[in-house]
Amino acid sequence: MVQSHMMRSNRRIVITGMGAITPLGLNVADTYRGCLEGKSGVGPITHFDASTFPTNFASEVKGFDLARYISDPKRFEYCGINGKFGAAAAEQALADAGLRPNDPCGSKADRTRFGLYLGSGEGITDFDGLITNIVNALDSTGKADAKRFSENCLTVFNPLHEAEQEFHTTPAHLASYFDLQGPNFNCLTACAASAQALGEGMELIRCGDADVMLVGGSHSMIHPMGITGFNLLTALSTRRESPQKASRPFDLNRDGFVLGEGAAMLVIEELEHAKKRGAHIYAELVGYCSTADAFRVTDSHPDGRGAIACVKGALADAGITPTQVNYINAHGTSTQVNDRVESLTVRRVFGEHADKVPMSSTKSCLGHMIAAAGAIEMILCVETMRNGVIPPTINYDTPDPECDLDYVPNQAREATVDCCLSNSFGFGGQNTSLVVKRFAD
Amino acid sequence: MGGGPVRRPTNTKVMSNRRRSVISGLGVLSPLGIRRGPVWEAIQAGTPGVKAISTFDTSSLPVKVAGVVTDFDPKMYMEKKDRKQLRMMARPIQLAVAGAWLALEDCQVDKTTLDKTRFGVLYGSCMIPSELPELAEPGKLCVIPGERVVDTKKWGVEGIPAIQPLWMLKYLPNMLACQVSILHDAQGPNNTITENDVAGIMAFGESLRILERDRADFFLVGGAESKVNPLSLSRQCLFETLSQKNDDPEGAHRPFDQARDGTVLSEGSAVVVLEEYEHAKKRGAGILAEVGGFSAGFDRARDGKGLARVIRQAMERAQVSPGEIDHISSHGQGAPVTDAWEAAAYQEVFAGHTIPVHALKGQTGNMGCASGILELATAALALSTGIRPATINCPNPDCGIVVTSRHATRMEKPCVVKVSLSQLGQVCVVVLKAIH
Repeated sequence: MVQSHMMRSNRRIVITGMGAITPLGLNVADTYRGCLEGKSGVGPITHFDASTFPTNFASEVKGFDLARYISDPKRFEYCGINGKFGAAAAEQALADAGLRPNDPCGSKADRTRFGLYLGSGEGITDFDGLITNIVNALDSTGKADAKRFSENCLTVFNPLHEAEQEFHTTPAHLASYFDLQGPNFNCLTACAASAQALGEGMELIRCGDADVMLVGGSHSMIHPMGITGFNLLTALSTRRESPQKASRPFDLNRDGFVLGEGAAMLVIEELEHAKKRGAHIYAELVGYCSTADAFRVTDSHPDGRGAIACVKGALADAGITPTQVNYINAHGTSTQVNDRVESLTVRRVFGEHADKVPMSSTKSCLGHMIAAAGAIEMILCVETMRNGVIPPTINYDTPDPECDLDYVPNQAREATVDCCLSNSFGFGGQNTSLVVKRFAD
Repeated sequence: MGGGPVRRPTNTKVMSNRRRSVISGLGVLSPLGIRRGPVWEAIQAGTPGVKAISTFDTSSLPVKVAGVVTDFDPKMYMEKKDRKQLRMMARPIQLAVAGAWLALEDCQVDKTTLDKTRFGVLYGSCMIPSELPELAEPGKLCVIPGERVVDTKKWGVEGIPAIQPLWMLKYLPNMLACQVSILHDAQGPNNTITENDVAGIMAFGESLRILERDRADFFLVGGAESKVNPLSLSRQCLFETLSQKNDDPEGAHRPFDQARDGTVLSEGSAVVVLEEYEHAKKRGAGILAEVGGFSAGFDRARDGKGLARVIRQAMERAQVSPGEIDHISSHGQGAPVTDAWEAAAYQEVFAGHTIPVHALKGQTGNMGCASGILELATAALALSTGIRPATINCPNPDCGIVVTSRHATRMEKPCVVKVSLSQLGQVCVVVLKAIH
């Protein structure tokens, strides 16, 4: 897949700030600790009455209050919840990096060379408004009358709330609030979105379009339309009797993923730029690749065609061999197809070495944060390298003969980890792999 | 009129280590027609594309005009075996797929010769509106008429089963690029930029960077959107500055004109082929223009200063000076405030030069993320034919700028600057150069 590196830039990219709002905690440390302790963030859905839905549970963020992070939360009042999660995680990451507009380094930084690349989801549809507007406009033939429907929309919908549903609002709010005047991107490639945002954000620095980027994702699909859509696709676990056991990646009895929500943000920076201002360097981002399965909208390619090319491409981009990888943070959604194809992919790329590389799915604890998943998983890779403890795949009870790798079952494991691979595979066939390394000058 | 292609810029120092990118094809479905030929004819003729909305009853809405793609039969733009996929595609996805089909046809590539792993697909994409009939059935079961809440308890039991299983896939924004990659076996980089009106050109910029770093040779880059339906239009009426010149549909979208009163919603699909120069040359492709440079940023104050900076950067990267620019292919939202800060940027960057501004939206209305791509392609067509396109609906330019004349004229300079922006401040710029 990868042909040559003659165009490869020699600019190195390091991670200098991290922030997270997740079902296991309202910061990075609590989230990582929760994963190590094998906690599950899953519980009954509280955002709306989902008691009769095939899936009535999810991994929700708990106790979140934007005012604890942002001095004037009012300006985010009408944002979708993804915008609010995003603002809080961005504040944490930028504060951690010392690059908020008023921080000593932040005020000296060239804000025009400071961009943003998010995988941020949609605002939340006014479900009651939309459905009742339709029903209240039905004519005698059972069709929605356009005139009455439009009338209903104009009176029922809240203009500010509707405006905030548009996809470009979160990246615009964050750029405006944190004074990020560089390139401003948002992508939405389903479950791969924030991993792709990290990768493309890294490339923007590599090629000289920016020196610093805020990258990450924010999302919540725990709303009636989201659960309805995924339930119809039979993608979600329906293990209603034991929700905390529902996300069980690589286990033989897995039956689908569990929706999570939240945000994860990182500050990534050109190495010399970081060194010059004396920044704390967490890790170095060294490899990225994105490919398409080009197979089906509903399933991954059964032989892992796109995924294999993607993992190989990311390792080549990092200039490393499979034996140098000490830990893989799996996409590991807990669906039948994903977990089988991902295991096969790692087996194909890593050969015999696959047995020696621990690979865990932190979605077993956090659930699937969809567009925000890739970014939180990168943060967990960084924490794993820093602390030397690999988070487990919880709920792993019965091995699946088709998933035959070391999934770090149920117990966190101490290990020296210097290099991690993180995979994200999006619904519709987008594959993204990232490689992160312990920083060495 | 006309008069042959434009000369190549003189001081183009082609950086030896940079892979060159060219535009070599266009697929388009727009209010001005379908396919490159008819659309380019209409652009040269200055044909208005905005009409009174006739596809649904707009009598309760303040806005009754739009640009619509007429005579669109999605089945015509896909192989017979693939047509069953259409039930999984909302209208913007169908338009996207048709645009890709037309782009491949237009660039005359033999698909079997492409390296699939270096064939990328990037789209700009926006919110895809729900189709009302699909939600009417479950809605009826779960709402008491006259009430304003849904009984979600009932929805869980009766509502959900009343919807088709693949419902969600019709509306996911990444399905434009996904469906195109599946239909054409494009296994290379694939991304979906969701950023309102700038999404198309941002997708183009990202494709350019991927191509430059040698991760792909051939891209379909597009945008497709449809806001001409009761749900999108009423939502937009709530928060967008829309033109209410309902008694003059063809004159409703007035970019930069003193009498402008808002944008006109429209629909369409535009897809360009972005190709590595040697790759295009080797297969004997008809090259429309070379891509000189790209830059993106955020105009935080929305006063044009940020946009001016980004324009300068793009020109620097393209090694192009103001004297080499024939015209600016503008965003031209048609809204009072946005056009003013866009124009302020032009005044700042091009002070001392009289560079006319082209605003295609006067003809097409605002096709959202598809407009950026069609405008870029129009600039490429201008460079390849030497014809500078006309701007309609701007007899009295505001904000101290000059627009291209009401009739197409001859190009004089070898470069065009394409600007795209969102009303919240996201901006991006592409510089195109004549190839000859």
